[in-house]
Amino acid sequence: MIEIIQISRGGSGGVTGAKILADAAMHEDKFGYSQAIPKYGSERRGAAVEAYVRFDNKPIRLHSPVYDADHALVLDESLIDRIDFEKVSKDGVVIVNCTKIPEQFKGSGRKIALVDATRISQELGLVLSGFTLVNMTMLGAFAKGTEIVSIENLVKAIQEFWGEKRAPKNVEAAKRAFEETKVVIA
Amino acid sequence: MTKLVVQFDKKSMTGNDAAAYAALYAKPKVIAVYPITPQTTIIEKLSQYVDEGKLDAEFVIVESEHSALAACMGAAWSGVRTFTATSSQGLLYMAENVFWSGYGRLPIVMPVVNRCLAPGWSIYQDLQDSMAFRDAGWIQIYTKNNQEVFDTVLQGFRIAEDKKIALPFMPCLDGFVISHTTAQVNLPNAEDSFNFVGEYSDPVIEVDTENPWIFGGLVGPEKFNKDRKDLMEAMERAKKKIVNMNKEFGEYFGRTYGNGLVEVYGDDVADLTIVSMGTIAEETQDAVDLLKEEGLSVNELRIRTFRPFPEKDIAEFAKKNNKFLVIDRSVSFGHDGQLRIETEAVLKRNNIDTPVEGRIMGLGGEDVPYTKITATAKEVLKE
Repeated sequence: MIEIIQISRGGSGGVTGAKILADAAMHEDKFGYSQAIPKYGSERRGAAVEAYVRFDNKPIRLHSPVYDADHALVLDESLIDRIDFEKVSKDGVVIVNCTKIPEQFKGSGRKIALVDATRISQELGLVLSGFTLVNMTMLGAFAKGTEIVSIENLVKAIQEFWGEKRAPKNVEAAKRAFEETKVVIA
Repeated sequence: MTKLVVQFDKKSMTGNDAAAYAALYAKPKVIAVYPITPQTTIIEKLSQYVDEGKLDAEFVIVESEHSALAACMGAAWSGVRTFTATSSQGLLYMAENVFWSGYGRLPIVMPVVNRCLAPGWSIYQDLQDSMAFRDAGWIQIYTKNNQEVFDTVLQGFRIAEDKKIALPFMPCLDGFVISHTTAQVNLPNAEDSFNFVGEYSDPVIEVDTENPWIFGGLVGPEKFNKDRKDLMEAMERAKKKIVNMNKEFGEYFGRTYGNGLVEVYGDDVADLTIVSMGTIAEETQDAVDLLKEEGLSVNELRIRTFRPFPEKDIAEFAKKNNKFLVIDRSVSFGHDGQLRIETEAVLKRNNIDTPVEGRIMGLGGEDVPYTKITATAKEVLKE
């Protein structure tokens, strides 16, 4: 089983992103089963929102949040300290919406996937009520960084979710992030 | 009508989406609703289906949950398939009509997305809301995952609408943990689903809406007691109906849930049996596997149907097992967890001396991971 923790700001699409990531994993032959658990509360636009995703090759019977993640998705770099990286596998990938290795990881030997998701999304006009929608962009970076979900299945899941009219920009965001993401060892 | 294993589309969806799909496919004629977290997304989906012309139903928007169920009662009296959904405070606000539709034998299907009761103000899951209505004359089934939500809602229409049963049906699903969590559901197509449910062609009750009459007569003790006895007998018949429905569903869709009333996981006989409901019961399966790996003998008895209470099944399982650990996600204040109280009562009156331990866990959304269940099982095993 693969477990993922995601942190984002309310309004940036993190909950939807987790759902689409789970769907993409379902399409992967090696998984077939997945789960996306949004952590609801008094979250509102701008507040930190956690979500958890699991992939497995058999039905998942767990209903708890992810405590020990394999990978971490950070949609807003300023929220990075909200994740306890002691509990994120050293063999996993940390996917961060930024251009430089965050200070805390320097010399850690961790695999970091860096992408300027905010810029990509803004260039594509993925902005809603002042919030940049970096969710699909970050999923493209996840696919590149972890290589456990293919860009094809990710695109398929994005298209299913957004439908014909709204999918193109979102697909483009994921594809551009997939191209631009730099995977480095910190 | 029996067809072996229909075709499925494996889809990722939330538990609330699964409930909405089942309702869509059963084609209710009347849906009357009022929004409340975490139920709201069920009715949002259904209003969308009606708006898009996918569902030909009267969608009644009312000013409160009390009115929502009142409108459903009117619809059920007129002999049409009726659906609503609610949670927590909303269910409490319906209270008068919940009892009225139960004692009035109205076949309404109403998923309850379980959420704790205030105060303290919270939106997370426990079973306090639906448990408060265990005496309301509704059938209650507690589901363990998104798939079971779809399956149970679909089964619910047939159970409720059987003239020999004629009881409202409450499929319960844990708020957020099922309702807002995305997971896989093997979704049959609309046609196969509707074929299974069938038309509601022989209504339990049917008022002539062209020429309606109301008789507001006072009911004397004799008739009153006869009605209550009828209700008790209907609940008894519902056990068999649920078992048969589970079987028939299995033949048609290729999936069953234990015998429909209870589901056993692990070995038939063990040193300790964990008894629970809802998502805790599914998480318990991982705990049972882990304990087995560690060389401990633990199995599980999941109570799927809480009303009617599966006395015989629990007694039979207890007879051959050594110790019960009952996990309750609700409390009857001044006594204990309801599941524990009822399980102990069943053992007592069947002269079974299997000891019962109880733990109250997971109130107000407190997480109950399999690691915690495992640790609790070990603790009880040592006693």
